[in-house]
Amino acid sequence: MRGDTVLSFEAIPLDTLLTLEADQLDSLPYGVVGLSTEGIVEIYNATEAKLAGLQSDGVIGTHYFAVTAQCMNNFMVAQRFEDEAEIDAIIDYVLTLRMRPTPVRLRLLKAPRVDRHYILVQR
Amino acid sequence: MTTDLETENMALLQFLYACPAGLVEFSAAGAIGMVNPAAMGLLMPIAGKPFVINMFDVMDTCAPELRNLVQQFAPPQGTVCDGHRIVTGRGERSTILACSIVKLTQDRYVATLADVTEQVARERRLKQAETWFASLLDGVDDVAVLSLDANGCIDAVTPSTTRQTGFTEAELLGKPFEWFDRSDRASAMPPTGEAIAVAQRDGWYLHEGWHALANGGRYWCQRLVAVREESAGAAARYTLVIRAVTRQGRDTADLRRMLTRDHLTGASNRAHFFETAERQRVRALQDRGSLALVVLDVDHFKRVNDEHGHAAGDVVLREVAQRCEAELRPEDIFARLGGEEFVVLLPGISLMEASAVAERLRASLVREPIDAGGIQLCITASFGCSALDTDPTASLAGLLAAADGALYKAKRAGRDRVAVSNADQAAA
Repeated sequence: MRGDTVLSFEAIPLDTLLTLEADQLDSLPYGVVGLSTEGIVEIYNATEAKLAGLQSDGVIGTHYFAVTAQCMNNFMVAQRFEDEAEIDAIIDYVLTLRMRPTPVRLRLLKAPRVDRHYILVQR
Repeated sequence: MTTDLETENMALLQFLYACPAGLVEFSAAGAIGMVNPAAMGLLMPIAGKPFVINMFDVMDTCAPELRNLVQQFAPPQGTVCDGHRIVTGRGERSTILACSIVKLTQDRYVATLADVTEQVARERRLKQAETWFASLLDGVDDVAVLSLDANGCIDAVTPSTTRQTGFTEAELLGKPFEWFDRSDRASAMPPTGEAIAVAQRDGWYLHEGWHALANGGRYWCQRLVAVREESAGAAARYTLVIRAVTRQGRDTADLRRMLTRDHLTGASNRAHFFETAERQRVRALQDRGSLALVVLDVDHFKRVNDEHGHAAGDVVLREVAQRCEAELRPEDIFARLGGEEFVVLLPGISLMEASAVAERLRASLVREPIDAGGIQLCITASFGCSALDTDPTASLAGLLAAADGALYKAKRAGRDRVAVSNADQAAA
């Protein structure tokens, strides 16, 4: 499973994300945020930590849309996770990483019967 | 290993990420340097897209005055505005933001943004009660007391009423109390019947406005309608208390202007427009009358700004507002919706009549060029009209959307012209 395309931002499947070890997630060149169905951060990889200027320890266990990512707490992101049973979508977005408006691409991933959904962040 | 400095830095970032108030740092040209998630969360819906990079561009649709406020603030540093209210959206579910801006240097500004929609609604009711109770504490001599029957018609008056208004008892008795309203553009009265309806529901209704004098003049007063206890079975009657407010000095007039006028053009502002328009729409529905909207947009305005600068653009907007206001009746409302877009509220006017008004406004703009600091600019605008007579069930937002649609037609057909909504029907 070491092919570059399989692990790329656009292609990596939800199943693969679920099986990757922490160090493998950390080596991905894009941000990976894994959320519980209640929106609590369970996965926060090294790339995302670096982009946001935070440490994983401080983010894991907190509510993502309330504490770290208020700007995603709207119909374009947070609401979609609530409303839709299955999502695999890439959207153009602007995040306030380290308070700088930063254009990014977001990939939202959610599947039925999977307790964790993902937001991938590519600068 | 993370150093103390890194740990502190992270704590600061986390603090800013979680901050419930919006914080934005921007340049004199509006370019956003720093912005926290809460601010981005408030700005994105206004922009209608996630790409938010310039504060003035985002706010242009709902608070074009921010650019002027910042540019006209001469001191090297200080507070540009404090809690400035911004009404976002177009009629339905308007979010109200409070915006404070502090100038740090010539090219560095920090703004806070907060959603105060709920608070504004609460405050309005509280303020009404407060003014009234405060007024009870000083001089009660100038209070007129009238009795109203179940329909709101005057059936008894105290001598203080004739003293205050100059009307004789005979002139007052039997008349609906609302006949003595003398509203104007800046102080629209609630629709007929609302005071009684609210008093019935809440026990009281309080309002400030102009009241007629027998000599043809008017005076500013606070008016309380209170339900009177009656014996069981009898229809409710009301007591109307009118208190003349003598402090109608320059300060109050200035304050009223500030709260209802657009900073740059002197036209009505969005908040005043939406409030009055909704009130007029309900009144028109009750009276089976009409109500028309004309939306106008200055043609190629961006070109004026790009080629001659924002100062010339500002002169154009002021002149457009002045020429249009001159063509309108006192009861019409001419308001700036945002950027170079204006709207006219025409009570009692049908779609076809509105189109004639729009044509008059159009002609007043092309009649002669606008002098923008020595440069003669030929300015035209495109107009879109909508009205209740052709669409009686339309909401305010629906009327605005219909006028917008017509405006778009006028633009596409070559600008400098008037179009009406549902033209197919109108032409038939």
